[in-house]
Amino acid sequence: MAFYADKDYTIDETVLQAAQKVMEGHLGLHWYEAKTERIAGRPSDPKRGLTYQDLNIGSYGYTSIPEDVRTSQSMVSRGSEKVGKLPDMGYVVNRKSDVWSDNVAELYEEVKARRWVPATDIPWTELHTNPLPPELEMACAQLYTFLQECQIVSMDFPSKWVAVINQDFLEQKSWMCAQMLDASRLFEVFRKRALFGGAGLGRASATAEQGLKEWLWADQFPLGSVSINLTLAGFLLTLYRQVAAFAPTNVDRRIMRYAMQDAARQTAYGLGQLRYHLQHRPLQANAIEGYLDLTEHVLLGLIGSPELLEPMIIICGGGLEKAQVDKGRIATAKFIRLVVREYMERIAAAGLAGHAKRSKIPAMIDRISASA
Amino acid sequence: MAYLSTTDFAQDKDFIDKWLYTIRTGEMDLSWMKSATEKISPEEANPRRGLTYRDLNLGTYGYTDIPEKVRNNRSYAPRGAEIPEGVPDAQPWVSRKSELWAFNTESYYEEAVSRQWNATTDIPWDRLDGVELPEVTGKALSQLMTFLTEVEMIATDTPAMWLPRLNPDFIEVRAFIAAQAMDEARHAEVFRKRALTTGWGLMQASPINEMALKHLRDADSFSEMSVALHLVAEGNVLTLFRFSEYLSPTDVDKKIFRLVMQDEARHVGYGMQHFKYVLEHFPEKREVLHAHLDEAENISFAGAAATELTEAFIILAGGGLKKENIEQGIKVTTQFNLKQMQEHFERLDKCGMPERRQRSKLYLMYEMGRAAAENAGIKLN
Repeated sequence: MAFYADKDYTIDETVLQAAQKVMEGHLGLHWYEAKTERIAGRPSDPKRGLTYQDLNIGSYGYTSIPEDVRTSQSMVSRGSEKVGKLPDMGYVVNRKSDVWSDNVAELYEEVKARRWVPATDIPWTELHTNPLPPELEMACAQLYTFLQECQIVSMDFPSKWVAVINQDFLEQKSWMCAQMLDASRLFEVFRKRALFGGAGLGRASATAEQGLKEWLWADQFPLGSVSINLTLAGFLLTLYRQVAAFAPTNVDRRIMRYAMQDAARQTAYGLGQLRYHLQHRPLQANAIEGYLDLTEHVLLGLIGSPELLEPMIIICGGGLEKAQVDKGRIATAKFIRLVVREYMERIAAAGLAGHAKRSKIPAMIDRISASA
Repeated sequence: MAYLSTTDFAQDKDFIDKWLYTIRTGEMDLSWMKSATEKISPEEANPRRGLTYRDLNLGTYGYTDIPEKVRNNRSYAPRGAEIPEGVPDAQPWVSRKSELWAFNTESYYEEAVSRQWNATTDIPWDRLDGVELPEVTGKALSQLMTFLTEVEMIATDTPAMWLPRLNPDFIEVRAFIAAQAMDEARHAEVFRKRALTTGWGLMQASPINEMALKHLRDADSFSEMSVALHLVAEGNVLTLFRFSEYLSPTDVDKKIFRLVMQDEARHVGYGMQHFKYVLEHFPEKREVLHAHLDEAENISFAGAAATELTEAFIILAGGGLKKENIEQGIKVTTQFNLKQMQEHFERLDKCGMPERRQRSKLYLMYEMGRAAAENAGIKLN
C-alpha cells in the first residue's frame, strides 16, 4: 500500500468520542455556516434541462478557475469550503491551459444527450440476410480489426490521465470519462461487426500499433491530446466518412454515422484544447511544433499500413476485380490527401497557421496520392 | 517522449515506396487475408436484446477461453486477431484473469450502456421551481450532496486509472470500467447540480472521509482496489443512497437517488462477482484481501466519525433541529449505520469470506452497536 489514512479510526478515542457525542444528540453543526456562495441554479432553457453552463456562476463556475490552480489538491468539489487536513491527491496537471477547451462543458452535455447502444441500435441481422461477397467481407473484417486497435488507444488515453488532473477541472474530467465510454462503445461496435459478419478478425497492424503507442505515451497532456484527440480522432473522422460513403451494407453505413458523431466531438475537443493552450501560452507554440515534427510521421504509419490501406481499396472499389481495384485506389488516394489536408486545416485553425509549410507530410502525401 | 516508435515512417523508404506502388498499380500484398484467425457464425440469442458480447463468446474470440495467465498478447491487438511480429508492448500491469474477472461482466457492461441516463434532462429540475425547503433541511441536503461529490470524485478516478493497466485481452472488464467511470462522472454531476439548486450552494468538505477515501486509489493490485471500492465503499454508498431516497425532501431528490442506485447496484454486483472469482481462482490472495479489508473497513469507521455527514443525515432523517426531530433522526441514522455494516458482512459471506466476521473490528463494532440499539428499543429490520 502506498497510502494509509492518517489515523486508524478504529482506535482513535477522539474521533470515536466525537461520533458518540453526535449520536447522543449533541450536534456541533460546524458545517452549518459554511463560508460558501449561496446560489439557486435553474435551467436557462427548461427544454434543455439543467446544464453545467447554467451553473457557471461565481465561485462554482468554470470561468473563474484560475490558470494556475494552487490551492486545491484534494477531492473537494470546486466552490465547497475547505476545512481541516485534506489529503493531497498528487495531481500533476494543475494549469487550466493544459487541459481546458472553451467547448468542453458543451461537449460533455452533448455526449450524454447523444448516447446510442451498439447491441440494439444497429440492424445486425441485415448482415445475415444480405451477406457480402467473401473478399469484401474479409476486407471489412480487416478494417474493423484495425479500428479496434485505434479504439483501445483512444480509451487508454483519457483513462491514463484523468486521475492526475486537478479535480477543479471537473467538467473536463467528466468529458474524459465520457470519452472512455465512447471509445469502449466504438470498440464494441467494430468488434461485433467484424465477428457477426462471419469472417472473424484479421491481422493486427505492427505499423499502426507502433505509431499509436508513440502518441499514447506522450509525456505531457497537451502533447498527447494533440495526437490522440486531434490527429487520431480527426483521421478517424475522415476515415469514417469515407467508409460511410462507400459502405457495402446499410449496417456499415449506420455504424459509421454513429462513429462520425463521436469522432467529431473528440476532434472538436482536441482542436479547442490546442487553441486554448496556444492562446494562453503562446510560447508553447515552438514546443508543440517540435513535437509535431517528431511525431506526425505516425499519421503516415497509420494511413500507409497495409492492414488499413488494402481493405480500404477493396471497400472503396467494391471488390478485387481490376476495375474495382482501380476505382478503389483512386478513391483511397483522394481519401489520403483529404486526411492530411483536414489535419493541416485543424492545426492551422488551432493557431499553428504556418505548420503546413514546415511539415514534411503534405509533400509526401501529394506524391503518393498523385501516383494514383 | 516516453516512447518512440521503432520506425520513423517518414524516413522509411521501403514503407513509402510500397505504399506508392500499391496506390499506383493496385497490386496488393493481401497477406492479411490469410490471417490465421477463426471463422465463426454468431447469432443473436435474443433479437430484442440485440447483439451482445455474450453472443460473441465463441472460440478464440470469447471470454470463456481467456487463460488464467495471458501470455500471448501484450499489445493493442483485439483478442482473437492475428498478432504479427513487431507490435509494441502495451505494458499492462494486470495479465492474470483471476485478478479482475467477474462472472457476468459482459452483462453488467451491456446494461450500463443501455441504461445511461442524463443528469441534465432526466431529472425534473423544473419541479424545483417554487420549492422552498426550510433552511435546516436545505442546508442538510446541500451538506449531504457536498459529501457525495467528494465520494464520486474518487470513484471516478480510481477505476479509470486502472483501465490502461489491464491487459487489452480483458475487453469486457475494460469496457465495464469505462462505463463505470462515466457513471461516476454523472453522479458527481447530479449531486453538484442538486447542491447548487438548493439555494445554499455547496457546503463544507469532509476531511476525515477524504483522508480515508484516498486509500481507495492507492491499492497495490486491481483486486484490492476492487474490494475496497466496489464492495466496501460502493456497498456503503448503496445503502446510503437507499436511505437517502427514503429521506429525500422532494420528488426530484427521490428521482436522483433512484437513478444513482441503479448504477451503484451494478458496480457492487461486479465487485461481488469479482471478489467471489478471485477467492475461488486465486486462493493465495485471500490473506492479502483480508489485510486490505482491515484497512478498507477503516473507511466505514471514518464515515461514522465524520460528523458533518452524520449530523446532516440526522437532520434529514428527523426533519429538523427540534429535540424530537433529533431523536427521530438518531434512530434512523442508527438503523442506517447498522444496516450498512450488516449488508457489508452479508456480501462478504455470499462471496465466500464468512470468516471475516471473526477478524474484523468493524464486525465487533456492529455487534456492539446492534446490542446498544436493541437496548434502546431501535428496530433494525
